[in-house]
Amino acid sequence: MAHDIRDLADEEVMQLVQKGDPRAFELLYDRHGGAAFSLAYRMVGKQVAAEDVVQEAFLSIWRSRQRYDKTRGSVRTWVLGIVHNRAVDGLRRSTVHDRRRETLDVVEERHEAAERTDVEVARREEARSVRGALNTLPDEQRQTIELAYFGGFSQSEIAKLLNQPVGTVKGRMRLGLEKMRRQLVEGVA
Amino acid sequence: MTDHVRHQDDIGAYLLGALNDLERQAFERHLARCDECQQELARLRPAADALPGSVQQFEPPARLKASLMEVVEREAREQQPEAERRRPRLRFLMRPAFVAAALLIGLVVGFAVAQLSGEDETRTLAATVDRAMPEAGGTLRVSNDDATLRLHDMPALSGSRVYQVWLQHGDRLVPARTFEVSDDGRGAVDLSNVDDADGVYVTREPRGGAQVPSEDPIVSVPL
Repeated sequence: MAHDIRDLADEEVMQLVQKGDPRAFELLYDRHGGAAFSLAYRMVGKQVAAEDVVQEAFLSIWRSRQRYDKTRGSVRTWVLGIVHNRAVDGLRRSTVHDRRRETLDVVEERHEAAERTDVEVARREEARSVRGALNTLPDEQRQTIELAYFGGFSQSEIAKLLNQPVGTVKGRMRLGLEKMRRQLVEGVA
Repeated sequence: MTDHVRHQDDIGAYLLGALNDLERQAFERHLARCDECQQELARLRPAADALPGSVQQFEPPARLKASLMEVVEREAREQQPEAERRRPRLRFLMRPAFVAAALLIGLVVGFAVAQLSGEDETRTLAATVDRAMPEAGGTLRVSNDDATLRLHDMPALSGSRVYQVWLQHGDRLVPARTFEVSDDGRGAVDLSNVDDADGVYVTREPRGGAQVPSEDPIVSVPL
């Protein structure tokens, strides 16, 4: 049976999870737990806090599994969205100073995933590609996107942090995403 | 058109989660009736969705999976099929402990009625709150089968979420009433049928309430 389930696509695995199958849930974690932990670690900057975020997020996924709606996006996007929300909740409880430092500083690099499987190689490749797209943005656009997405700051908070009008911050986020989209979807830098 | 001009610049902030609750709700109301913004949102979404994949990839520690699966496997064992979960009280009535108690009550019914009719036991229990809400607190006042949960210094929730009370029966949490808190963080909710409950809990859920809690309780009162 284990061989069968591992051949299933995420959406099919999720159907089993929705029926309360713990083996299917374990497979979901095996597939997305690494990306989830990496995202949480990037956002909260501390290993133990990142573990708490992932644990809370996956338990929430398990307990609210009926809410997944495949018409609204992939399982991976849904899972990482929940991890992101949990990390933002945690960040918003910490002080602005700490959040800013963790968002802008280079996060300590350790426990880097070994490229042992095709999936891990693909994950690392994707990370390089998206990071490359992010790094081609003008600094002010990249910084604004990082403060918003990874730092959990609202546009008004970013405006205050950077001493810029909110309209400028809105524009940087939209232009930055547009440029990233062109590069990722159309391959245009 | 004015509405569109006002909201179209929020698309990037919306995708990145950088709107506050009021701004987000206003944007979503506009989005629901604006084809142009829906198309623009769909066009830019792949860029925002790619962001979590941009981070350096780390290996989660094995203990994380072990502790997660321990909880999941326990809950999977405890949870009956979904259809039965929707009739929690019926299943509760079938529990051996309850049947045994009912038989016992049947045997001593005359005595029990006499005892209950002369008894008005009221007790007040302190609520335990999540450490993320250090100022919050409250009490549960239990009087026979009824109870009132009073909380203070509870955080305000966004317009789409409410607090929901759950009654614990054995291993299950049965949904009870939802409630909101006032501007100063105070909330009170009257509960019935608490006599046979093992605990009273509160979570944050979508408006309208949930059938299954979406998070660990943030307020707990074991009975």
